Amino acid sequence: MRKAAKFGLFLVMIMLMTGMLFAAGSKEVKPLNFALAGNPDTLDPHKTSGTLTFQTVKSVYDTLAEPDENGVIVPALAESWDVSADSLTWTFHLRKGVKFHNGDAFTSADVKASFERVLAEETASPHRKEMGIIASMDTPDDLTIVFNLSGPHAPFLATLASGWSAILPKSLIDTGHDFDSLPVGTGPFKLEEWVRDSKVVFSKNDDYWMKGLPKLDKVILHIIPETSVVVQGLISGQIDVVYIVDSDDIPMLEASPDVTLKENLTSLIMVMPMNTSKPPLDDIRVRQAINYAIDKQKILDIAYGGGETIGTFMDRGNAYYKDFTDLYPYNPEKAKALLKEAGVGNDVELKLYLPQNYTLHVKAGEMYQEMLTKVGLNVKIQLIDWSTWISDVYRASKFDLTVIGHTGKLDPDGTLGGYGEGKYVQWFNDDAAGLIKKAAATIGYEERKVMYDQVLEIMAKEVPFVYLGSSYRTTAYRSNVTGFRITPNLDTFDFRWTEFK
Amino acid sequence: MELLLFIVRRFLRLVLTILIISTIIFFVIRVIPGDPALVVAGIDASDDDIQAIRVRLGTDVPVGVQYVRWLSDIVRFDFGESMISGASVNKLILERFPLTLTLAVLGIMLGIIVAIPLGVLSAVHRWSFWDYFGMVYSQMGMAIPSFWLGLILLLVFAVKIPLFPLFGSDSLKHLILPAIALGFARAAVILRLTRAAMVEELSREYIITARAKGLTDRMIRYKHALRNAMIAVVTITGIQFGYMLGGAIIVEQVFSLPGLGRLFLYAIYQRDFPLIQGGVVFIAIVFSLVNFAVDILYSVLNPKIRIS
Repeated sequence: MRKAAKFGLFLVMIMLMTGMLFAAGSKEVKPLNFALAGNPDTLDPHKTSGTLTFQTVKSVYDTLAEPDENGVIVPALAESWDVSADSLTWTFHLRKGVKFHNGDAFTSADVKASFERVLAEETASPHRKEMGIIASMDTPDDLTIVFNLSGPHAPFLATLASGWSAILPKSLIDTGHDFDSLPVGTGPFKLEEWVRDSKVVFSKNDDYWMKGLPKLDKVILHIIPETSVVVQGLISGQIDVVYIVDSDDIPMLEASPDVTLKENLTSLIMVMPMNTSKPPLDDIRVRQAINYAIDKQKILDIAYGGGETIGTFMDRGNAYYKDFTDLYPYNPEKAKALLKEAGVGNDVELKLYLPQNYTLHVKAGEMYQEMLTKVGLNVKIQLIDWSTWISDVYRASKFDLTVIGHTGKLDPDGTLGGYGEGKYVQWFNDDAAGLIKKAAATIGYEERKVMYDQVLEIMAKEVPFVYLGSSYRTTAYRSNVTGFRITPNLDTFDFRWTEFK
Repeated sequence: MELLLFIVRRFLRLVLTILIISTIIFFVIRVIPGDPALVVAGIDASDDDIQAIRVRLGTDVPVGVQYVRWLSDIVRFDFGESMISGASVNKLILERFPLTLTLAVLGIMLGIIVAIPLGVLSAVHRWSFWDYFGMVYSQMGMAIPSFWLGLILLLVFAVKIPLFPLFGSDSLKHLILPAIALGFARAAVILRLTRAAMVEELSREYIITARAKGLTDRMIRYKHALRNAMIAVVTITGIQFGYMLGGAIIVEQVFSLPGLGRLFLYAIYQRDFPLIQGGVVFIAIVFSLVNFAVDILYSVLNPKIRIS
């Protein structure tokens, strides 16, 4: 027995020593350690809709234009642009002297090739239809690209500023390069390594077109699924930035002298959608009753860690937001009266489908159920996984009630497009649908705002949703980190200005 | 010759098993709700975009056609490409396997080092301190969830006393705590079994014969009884090892390790059909190989057991 014990001890020592050998010899520049909650599906921005992909490749790729800190779309790879009087011809003047990570010079041919790639059927981009407005492209010279649109389309600039309009080098597109795992762009960082489900390592692009940026030499995105490990990592200094922390962890982080917390309003639209084509939810009185029955601020505070109520289908911080929160205040008595009038009691079972991997929505769902039960409704919760949610609830409208948060969009058409003509809530309203289409074809904030105000009013009154609010997001940093930005509406990570004090 | 025949038969059985399992899986994942094209498309894509994605993924054709395509690919050991990431399934699995293998070997080694000596001691000296200790340990080992143990280990040995890293997977050092978290519960099972098998062997008639023959207690216990008891122990250890090679999902989540478990778990979440199928076939092969090794070990332990 003693022999075995000795042997065991010996083995453990060997392992420790090998471990130390491995760990030694990697002393270099201090990287920024960033906690990422999941593995990006792919690093090809043209082939996915995954948020994690866009959050990750924001550092590798640039777009012609991009949203600045305040969400205003500003020049990036294009220095300026003009739109023709009929809004059909958009001419972009490209920045000179920009280089791809592989050394290629950036020209209009790369822009054309990138959009042709998104538009190609075999790429099967989830954003192909969105780009379909491009009728043709001209490259009069190396630094000019002209987009000819098939109709006036206000959201076009927002499309160009989104991650899925990333510019890839033509030479590699032509050779069928593996952009899934080896992205090559013009961005502030080059991909050094991607170990799936473990880490993404970026190193500085010394030739970046923004002078003096990025400030960091190296960024490591550590893929850590367990939030308590992230919290401990932040407190102990092994992690420098956590993009979003659970409200449960906030007290612990506040107690740590080395951690700074920053709370800001997200562009999320938190809702409880209702299937308006299914009785009894086709009766507007029932939907109104459900809206009266919900204490919106309470759910925001408890389930989502705080936020601001909205009252219609637009995020609170959006330039197109209009306040309708007074329309359906919390009033359970009124809810009961309306339900009585509509003749709906607890003999009707309403199924509330909750996406189980989103724990916050599940928590919120339980609160919705409780509040609806109080006014005499019979709500049954069913947990489903995300794939089922997309296919059954979102695409096939097989649900009564569900809970979800819609991400903010750079252009209001991204948020509202398609409503009034069904969508998953099966809500039909010709006035709203007509206005949404008209607003998309109108250029100019003032003109569009008038139309969207009317759309938001119709949606606020007809309540195909319970509009809960936009939640707060708490980002946590080591106190010596400054300049980490989250791109407004796109929620991507921007490390260009990030540095250690 | 006999061995060769055995291997051939085993191999044929493996092929048949894989065929049956993969066929079941192939259809089951297509019957349950969820569509990989919708996972790729997200919620903003149009119906046309989704159809184009289905064409790219090859899910636009009838299931029967997909099945025939898949079968003709796997006979060439080509599991296709992940529908979600576009990477080759072979590559994804083989990339993860070394880590999972190392973790499983470490875990099972820790399990054996703790469990077998303790199990034998418990059986030989029944109702002694070691026996009680072993009982308490095995109760705890089976009752403590591995994610909890993992978190506690991290809190103590990576945060309070920072001997080990909190996350990452670059070196063997990253695998020590996960191996302990994994081995702890396995050890409990192996310990129980070792004790029970040993107690049973020690009460057999041949032990009395051996004793009458004048053999020392030492000889009887460790040469005769232990050897026979090992047959059951090897079986259970083999099965446990097989499970670990399939991926220890919970431990991988807690320790942020890029192992097979997480690969397959997300493949299921995202309805990544080729990756799920490849994973199932891979695990089936691993299980068969482990079982095969166990069978060989039987005949080493007891030459009377002929492989047949």
